[in-house]
Amino acid sequence: MNKRFFATLGTVILGAAVIAGIGTYVASAKNDSRVLAATAAGTLDTPQGTLPHYTLDIQAYPDSMFGGHGANGGAHPDWVSYGDITNFEVPAHSAITITVTNYDGGETLNNDYFGKVRGTIDGSATLNGVRITSVAPDHVGHTFTVHGIASKQSELFFSVPMQAVAEEDMPEEGYTKTPNVTVFTVITGDAGEYIWNCEYPCGDGTVAKFGNAMSSMGYMSGHFNVVQG
Amino acid sequence: MTTMMDRSASAPGHAAGKRPLIERLNIVTALVLGTVSAVVVWQLALRFLPETPETSLFFNREDKISLLSLIGWFVGFMTGIGALIGPFRWALGKDLNHDENMFLAGKDQGIKRYFRYTTDHKVVGIQYLVITIIILFVGGTLAMLIRTNLGHAQGGWIQPQTYNAIVGWHGIIMIVATIIMITGPFGNFIMPIMIGARDMAFPRLNALSFWLIVAAVPPVFISFFTGGITTGWSAYNPLASQAGLGMNGYIAFICIFAISTMVAGANITTTVVKMRAKGMTWNRTPIFIYGVVASVALALPAFPVFFLSQIMSGMDRAFATSFYNTAGGGSGWLYENLFWIMGHPEVYVILIPSVAALMEMAPVFTRRPLFSFNLAVMGIAGISGLSVLVWAHHMYISGWAPLLNAPFMLTTELISIPTGMLFLVLIGTLWRGRLWMTMPTASIYALLWNFMIGGITGIYLSDVPADAFLHGSMYVTAHFHYTLMGAGLTGALASLVFWFPKMTGRMFNKTLSWVSFWLVQIGFNVTFIGMFLVGLAGQPRRVESYAEVFSRGNLITTMGAYTIMAGMLVLLHGVISSWRSGVKAPMNPWQSKTLEWTVPNPVPLENFETLPVVTSDAYGYGKAKS
Amino acid sequence: MSDVQVSNKAKWWKSADVKKTAIYWVILTPIIGYVATEVQLRSIGAPASEVMASVKSLMGIFTWAASPVAGLVAALALTSLMGKRHYGDNPPPDADHEIRNSPRAAATWVVVSTLLCLFALITGLIVLQKDSESILDAKAININVTGQQWVWNFDYPESNGVRSEVLYLPVDRPVVFHITSKDVKHSFWVVQMGIKMDANPGYVTETAVTPNKIGVFDVRCAELCGLLHAYMQNKVHVVSQADYDAWLSNRAALEGAA
Repeated sequence: MNKRFFATLGTVILGAAVIAGIGTYVASAKNDSRVLAATAAGTLDTPQGTLPHYTLDIQAYPDSMFGGHGANGGAHPDWVSYGDITNFEVPAHSAITITVTNYDGGETLNNDYFGKVRGTIDGSATLNGVRITSVAPDHVGHTFTVHGIASKQSELFFSVPMQAVAEEDMPEEGYTKTPNVTVFTVITGDAGEYIWNCEYPCGDGTVAKFGNAMSSMGYMSGHFNVVQG
Repeated sequence: MTTMMDRSASAPGHAAGKRPLIERLNIVTALVLGTVSAVVVWQLALRFLPETPETSLFFNREDKISLLSLIGWFVGFMTGIGALIGPFRWALGKDLNHDENMFLAGKDQGIKRYFRYTTDHKVVGIQYLVITIIILFVGGTLAMLIRTNLGHAQGGWIQPQTYNAIVGWHGIIMIVATIIMITGPFGNFIMPIMIGARDMAFPRLNALSFWLIVAAVPPVFISFFTGGITTGWSAYNPLASQAGLGMNGYIAFICIFAISTMVAGANITTTVVKMRAKGMTWNRTPIFIYGVVASVALALPAFPVFFLSQIMSGMDRAFATSFYNTAGGGSGWLYENLFWIMGHPEVYVILIPSVAALMEMAPVFTRRPLFSFNLAVMGIAGISGLSVLVWAHHMYISGWAPLLNAPFMLTTELISIPTGMLFLVLIGTLWRGRLWMTMPTASIYALLWNFMIGGITGIYLSDVPADAFLHGSMYVTAHFHYTLMGAGLTGALASLVFWFPKMTGRMFNKTLSWVSFWLVQIGFNVTFIGMFLVGLAGQPRRVESYAEVFSRGNLITTMGAYTIMAGMLVLLHGVISSWRSGVKAPMNPWQSKTLEWTVPNPVPLENFETLPVVTSDAYGYGKAKS
Repeated sequence: MSDVQVSNKAKWWKSADVKKTAIYWVILTPIIGYVATEVQLRSIGAPASEVMASVKSLMGIFTWAASPVAGLVAALALTSLMGKRHYGDNPPPDADHEIRNSPRAAATWVVVSTLLCLFALITGLIVLQKDSESILDAKAININVTGQQWVWNFDYPESNGVRSEVLYLPVDRPVVFHITSKDVKHSFWVVQMGIKMDANPGYVTETAVTPNKIGVFDVRCAELCGLLHAYMQNKVHVVSQADYDAWLSNRAALEGAA
């Protein structure tokens, strides 16, 4: 009787171990845990008073042929991507100045809603040093759109379009020497977990070009976490 | 081609090296030929398929290549297992002789026959049982991954695209497992003996239906590594045409599985109609037979539609047709209609044989006649008939045809009437019986409980205004798990314990059957009541992450799910240990009156030495008051 | 034989197990009805519209209507379970009767389940009728809802082209949503208002509601729409008419800044 009990228990433990093993493999195989944290930069005067100031530098490339994606671009060298680290971490209740350097071309948005700068301080950004509040919807390279779950956490939404690099400035080899630099500042609320993705249809697929790079974490989407400063 | 007779006539030294082709094919040759064929087709397509022109859309070439390779796998595998030998020989006018047919039936081959294209229905039944257990194990593992990820509000243990792929994979393979879990093992092994037949009407089709399922499984596994089924099991278009190459695995899987289901449906229906023992009138045919026939007959109109919907989905991907693409003149609503025209009968394909199996066991374990056989038949017929008229209740809020909501609400709610009949039959049979407490007996009570909850929540969902709130929420997920798992799987597990002695010659360990029963049933109710609550509070289905308000309910659900896992592993241990070293079973351990218990263990190749003659139904238990 | 049946018929309600069942039934029905209704309605939470209130009351009514049936099945099952049970490897002796049928029980069962089914149907149709009338309201605010992988956005065409990712609604005014999608299928669900309608690419579907409570509620996508489906949600703010007007002019100014 005892022997049978232990045999059964053994099967249960073994089975649970197998399942846990598979789970650990699946979870680790596809999980990029690298996080890019914002850098402290003193304080900033904002419409909401003087807040701790942080900066975050991000690049958008037309492919994945650089460092972190692995030698020769990893599994998908031709997938468009936002840097090699796509998980960002910024402090709560702070002003975050995000600089996006865009090396990629572009065309027309599915939805011109995302042609406007939304949710930044006074609804504006600077493009190569010039203040803008929108980008023409047919000249957008990517957007950086942050949103989250309807939960107890603060509502945080901002969406900034990146001007596309003009067709004639896109070289055959390597990256353009004249990327478009967009700078904008947002104010974070309480700590919470958010995600960001690009709303410019830069993936593949027959529907809305939202396949492949657009439908995988680590290329055109990632985590955007607000943590206690 | 050499025949067995030729071999016996040829020189002895010659024989070993020249076994006829028919004897050399087995699962190994099938896997090898399938893989080789897939790789060859893949390489050829890679070389010779023209590049997609700039103007066309990116996916097409890769989709063509992967679909062609999967077709290559399918043809290679089926050739390698020997599915083509019969038709080929027949076309040449040299049909198989008696010895070859005996070889195909698996005569005197011991364990090897389980790895061949064997036509004996008992071998096919065991094969189905094993593959069902394997698929349930994989599906259960995936369920545990889902629940572990959802144990914490922000998810994140598994990345969203992997999570979506796991949800889709869990969904589709559990649907397949539950479709075959009764009609496969017990419909093939038990049903022919129960009606007093020597084999199925078309033994080779029987082998075909099983090996098609084996051929269908690798595409769905491969799909996991090529992007996954990220669309949920329903694979709605246009999301499916946007998804990565993994979707092609889904399409191939469904097409092959649909053929298998159609073949099995035609075979089982013909067998029951034509091959019942002398004297087994429809009124004397056991209720389990009705359940199996209703299930496979319902699949006959349903699965060709599924097949078609996936062919069109594949064409949208590979040839840029636009059946489902609004921009090209198609409509996603077309897909939804095709899908649910299959999808709703399909849930009854799963449910009916399970309830029928428990109805078959009820008189045995209450030692009294089945209550109201006619109402049972009418309930099964009524559900089957109505189930093909209710599909659009999955589309109340799709915006497709709001004016049709009321009529579909009518047909859907009418199903509660025949379903009620099945309840009456079960509860009537339990009434004033002499209860013999076994795991199948307890399963009848468990089914009544689970199916009651599943059925009543189904009425809320069938109601259009309530569905506008509940649709697409965890409530729906809990509801269909209550019907398909709480009712469906409960019946299947009871069937396993009930027919185990006949199928394996050994008794299922009683203690283990009880332990697993309680773990599974308690775990199940904890899991899905928790899920009802988060659904009512507003948690959508198929989400990788959720708001904190749902944390408690999800934690309860995850704890319940782990309990189910423990229960199912205990059951798995029971299957393996009882099969290997269980108590040898007598011919009729349950003292049942159906025909399968009149044949010895192990069941002889042709089941009956002399075919039985039936003079009454199988429910003559009980004695009149004196 | 026939003689036994006659005597059975005369006093079937007097037999011990029938009495026992009746007692169980009377006890179980209110318990099931109360627990099931309370648990469900509490999970749903407070409604924020007439539509949601009627969904809640509908579910309450259905649960109470179903509880006698569930109670009866439970009572019958309990009675049979409380009877003679046999454990062991060999079967017990057969039951002391061979009842194969009971026309009276079968007929009653079928008639009652048909009536309950009709009841559910008619109740549902009445609520459905009431809900669909609200779309025709001429005084309603029209809002265009656009679903796109994985963000909702809302256009207020009657208010100087105001656009927003968060939904603002004035309290007690009917709203009609015109819903579409830019890519795949989404489903627009305003949870606490009990409305949901799919967003289909290339088509516009409609649904309507009158929010009747000031507060912050949830909009969620209820149809798997790809990678970040779980995150395709946002808040809906129901505010007073004055606050609503202030919000509109504020947003209009931002939108005009372009």
